[in-house]
Amino acid sequence: MEYEAIIGLETHIQLNTETKIFCSCKADSWNDPPNTNICPVCTGLPGVLPVLNKAAVEKAVLLAHAMHSEIRPVSYFDRKNYFYPDLPKGYQISQYDQSLAHGGYLDVPMRDGEMRRVSIHKLHIEEDAGKTKNEQGRRLIDFNRCGVPLIEMVTGPDIRSAEEAAQYLIRLRQLLRWLGVSEADMEKGHLRCDANVSIRPKGADYLNPKTEIKNVNSIDAVRQAIETEIKRQIRAVEGGGKVEAWTLSWDEDSGTLSKMRSKETEADYRYFREPDLLPIHMDEAWKSEILAAFPELPLERRTRFMAEYGLPAYDADLLTAERSLSDYFEAAVSAYGGDPKRVSNWLLNDVMRMLNESGKTAGELRLTPQFLAEIIKMVDKGTVNTPTGKGLLEKTEETGKSPREIVEAEGLGQVSDSEAIRQICAQILADNPEQVARYRGGKTGLLGWFMGQVMRATRGKADPNTTRRILQELLDTSA
Amino acid sequence: MQEEITPELFEHLVELAALELTPEEGEYLRAQLNKQLQAVHELQAIPLEEGIPPASHGVSYTPESSPPPREDAWKPYPNVEALLSQVPETEEGYIVVPDIPHEALS
Amino acid sequence: MSTPIPFLPAHEIARQVRSGELSARQVTEAVLEHIARVDGIPGQLGGDPQAEPDKVHAFITLTAKRALTQAETVDARIAAGEDPGPLAGVPFTVKDIFTVEGTPSTAASRMLANFIAPYTATPVERLENAGAVMLGKVNLDEYTFGSSSESSAFQPSPRNPWNLDRVPGGSSGGSTAAVAAGEGALSLGTDTAGSIRQPAAFCGVVGVKPTYGRVSRYGLIAFGSSLDVPGPVARNVTDAALMLQVMAGADPHDSTAVTLPVPDYLSGLEKGVRGLRIGLSPDYFRITYPDPQDGSLREEALPEAIRTAVLKAAEALAAQGAEIVEDVPMPHTRYGIPAYFVISRVEAASNLHRFDGVKYGYRTSQPVADLREMYRKSRGEGFGVQPKLRILMGMYVSAAQYSEQYYNRALRIRTLIRRDFERVFDPAGAYRLDALLTPTTPTTAFPMQDVYGDSVLMQYADQLTVPANHAGIPGLSLPGGLDAEGLPLGIQLLGPDFSESTLFRIGRAYEKATAEEAWRATTPKIVHG
Ligand SMILES: [Zn+2]
Repeated sequence: MEYEAIIGLETHIQLNTETKIFCSCKADSWNDPPNTNICPVCTGLPGVLPVLNKAAVEKAVLLAHAMHSEIRPVSYFDRKNYFYPDLPKGYQISQYDQSLAHGGYLDVPMRDGEMRRVSIHKLHIEEDAGKTKNEQGRRLIDFNRCGVPLIEMVTGPDIRSAEEAAQYLIRLRQLLRWLGVSEADMEKGHLRCDANVSIRPKGADYLNPKTEIKNVNSIDAVRQAIETEIKRQIRAVEGGGKVEAWTLSWDEDSGTLSKMRSKETEADYRYFREPDLLPIHMDEAWKSEILAAFPELPLERRTRFMAEYGLPAYDADLLTAERSLSDYFEAAVSAYGGDPKRVSNWLLNDVMRMLNESGKTAGELRLTPQFLAEIIKMVDKGTVNTPTGKGLLEKTEETGKSPREIVEAEGLGQVSDSEAIRQICAQILADNPEQVARYRGGKTGLLGWFMGQVMRATRGKADPNTTRRILQELLDTSA
Repeated sequence: MQEEITPELFEHLVELAALELTPEEGEYLRAQLNKQLQAVHELQAIPLEEGIPPASHGVSYTPESSPPPREDAWKPYPNVEALLSQVPETEEGYIVVPDIPHEALS
Repeated sequence: MSTPIPFLPAHEIARQVRSGELSARQVTEAVLEHIARVDGIPGQLGGDPQAEPDKVHAFITLTAKRALTQAETVDARIAAGEDPGPLAGVPFTVKDIFTVEGTPSTAASRMLANFIAPYTATPVERLENAGAVMLGKVNLDEYTFGSSSESSAFQPSPRNPWNLDRVPGGSSGGSTAAVAAGEGALSLGTDTAGSIRQPAAFCGVVGVKPTYGRVSRYGLIAFGSSLDVPGPVARNVTDAALMLQVMAGADPHDSTAVTLPVPDYLSGLEKGVRGLRIGLSPDYFRITYPDPQDGSLREEALPEAIRTAVLKAAEALAAQGAEIVEDVPMPHTRYGIPAYFVISRVEAASNLHRFDGVKYGYRTSQPVADLREMYRKSRGEGFGVQPKLRILMGMYVSAAQYSEQYYNRALRIRTLIRRDFERVFDPAGAYRLDALLTPTTPTTAFPMQDVYGDSVLMQYADQLTVPANHAGIPGLSLPGGLDAEGLPLGIQLLGPDFSESTLFRIGRAYEKATAEEAWRATTPKIVHG
């Protein structure tokens, strides 16, 4: 029998606020020793109270808007009660039935070019728990992460394969960075994912019991864990067994799933309104203030790049992968004024390499979009030849000087005066009579060798077209 | 009189609450719970019209009386040592508790 | 003969300290000496409840050294010509449910017996900044769960200074016993269902439950977070007003502390009651409670002495020009306790989750197999029976399958209770009341161990006070005379949101109107001892 997988993803997104959600400890403690970035509030001391971080709400609104979710004018915080040592209060402050936003979707382009719309069921704000690790039969706890603002976002069961799940995460990660609401670094746990997986005979319209895989915290892990679980479920069903609603844990190192103890997961969270916090009143004034700077989203921009600049899908995709690069491209196109595809080529071939090597974002380059446009224009006009132009990219980045200045200072201007080139060519022919004879004897492939000699003599500044034309003229006619 | 909290339900609540009770304590507590619930049942006799909203706080907060949310500015807590000095068991900065076992999946 | 220092009003101490007639050190030493004479051994873990039955036992932790240092700071500021604050040199105690940096903050529980708070509760901080001198932490029912202070894990528990065989009430029993016995002019208490007003009534002192949100809860170890309010205990209305003045106001650490400006409570204090409309409700002159034998509901009129005290107070206020409005219906009053059984337990169970032996407080010393067992043993050994009862009740009524039937229903009934008040305080309504005048408690102080152990009967002592907690409104309990046994009677004023000024004004008018009555000259037994 052929099966299809029904997959829903529950993501936890760490917002990149300066501080935690309910206290003034800093949100990011990636490099801090355990239990150093803590205070009475985030460690749940007796008597403390939470105070909501404005920026967490604002970033959540940006994300909700990007997901086409409906933002509630009044939303509430609730307590989710359970015991776990990384949860100092014994409850997590979350949002239950009246969360900040609900509904919405994310359109995800799939590899085959199809667009899959993944619906969003829930979108709410909550606080993160600490970290625990096992060591020799004991559990070690670090509270540094307690109280980091999270968005929990749950998709509908709209995803059909491990690969689709991966694509969803890739697009979500892109969007989060694009909006500037999260660093979305999965290695650092900024974007975490639990996957609900079930299978059914292909074409069936019912849902089977699902398992929940916790801890799938990289794109590869999502692919592998879901793939592994789908195979396990098919094996179980075909072996006459059935799939039980287990909670599974993915171990990335060994690439295996393990079942979590039922006691840990069997829970009645006894949600109730958090009496220590007032509701969030998201009135129109505040909302429009937050959304005033709402950016064009990557997929919209991708479509526009294709329509407006006539870019192929491949270019448009790459150029909208990241907001800074995409903004850079538009600024460069505007400064250049010529064919946008030409700017795209320069960016994707050469500037991208610089970005990858330096780890910088496009916006951080000293090679500004204006400088890039200047270089391409000089190449177009023949002021410098292409290799010199490419060399200028690095030089501009290193010095921060304008490419034109560099060209003038270093005398890199292209020798396009054909009289000067003619003299140099004539000299080279005179110096190499043997080669000339061989050429004239039929070895016309030697033209390249002559070109190289001219270039060497001019330190690359000779315009190649002019050089080629003159060399051919001299070699072919003086027979 | 019918007991609402049976010994089985009581055991479940005790487990949820992560409490270890002596038998005497358990007996006393279960009896008290059932007694309190009799009082609580008075609530069920009250006619509640549709549209009466729940009140999470008695006082209603207005925009004038509600504190604004906190500005996102880092203030390091100066007394982390005092926090950690309260912890029953620590090791190299970590808080130590007994383990939570996992089951491997065959 | 002039009043001895321990019984001087707070405003008088502050005046004399500010003017240099007394030094803060002098005051502190005098009160510490008095405490040494009347208080006896402090409550301690495993202490004998019957130890020294002739003493008050208000304290858990006496911080004499700290107090003297603070007093010296106040004196130094005066010597330096600085303003020492409106409570300069006023000795006060703190219910041990508030955190104070560097002192044990026990909540009267084994669970927190070893907990040294690394931060100070906002109300305490404000009192100290105003020059008040903290003498120490006083006893209470464990985690405030009770109405007699007997459930403290720290024994002996406080006794009523008027009759040492009686309870001081609770849960702020240590606070009211201390203030009544001259162990500090003021005390900081908390009121979740009547925990300030009921013991204030039992001990013949003034107790204020401010409007929810008027005083920051930061540093108050929470019981019912939507009900808890810190408030003053004092020997007179002026002192209570002065204390609230200092504590009230917004706090960046408490999102539920309102940002409304704090009025000047003292300036209008002597204005009298002419023109004020004060209501009497028959629903506050009877209580309904389940029969301890068969559980059937019984309705009973209040004892005559209590009734009379309230009616006499109404007459006294009428004589001062207040308009008394009778027969004000408050039909949902009787549902206050059942609704409270649900709401407070749900919040309490959740608030007590954090006490798990992981990061502070008690952790079992027995060997454990896994984490869960560590939780069970730590919580089983660390909590007394009252917290356990509240946790289990909270677990039950908030469980997903019961929550609609119990918890959500209780919250909607809370709305009905609130509406009772809104209707009678509505300035455009039929009653247009400035305040309701009621008894504070259905009984006077009961004998020790009398109802302790019966959680239901114990709770019904709060029947007349708990509606204000549901509704969030302010309440003021005033001494209203003595019964035939010489036990204090309490009368209560309830007003609309943030009407503390009016309540103080009425309370002060009542004090003046009754200043010459014989009972005003009577002092608690212990004082003569
Ligand atoms: Zn913190």
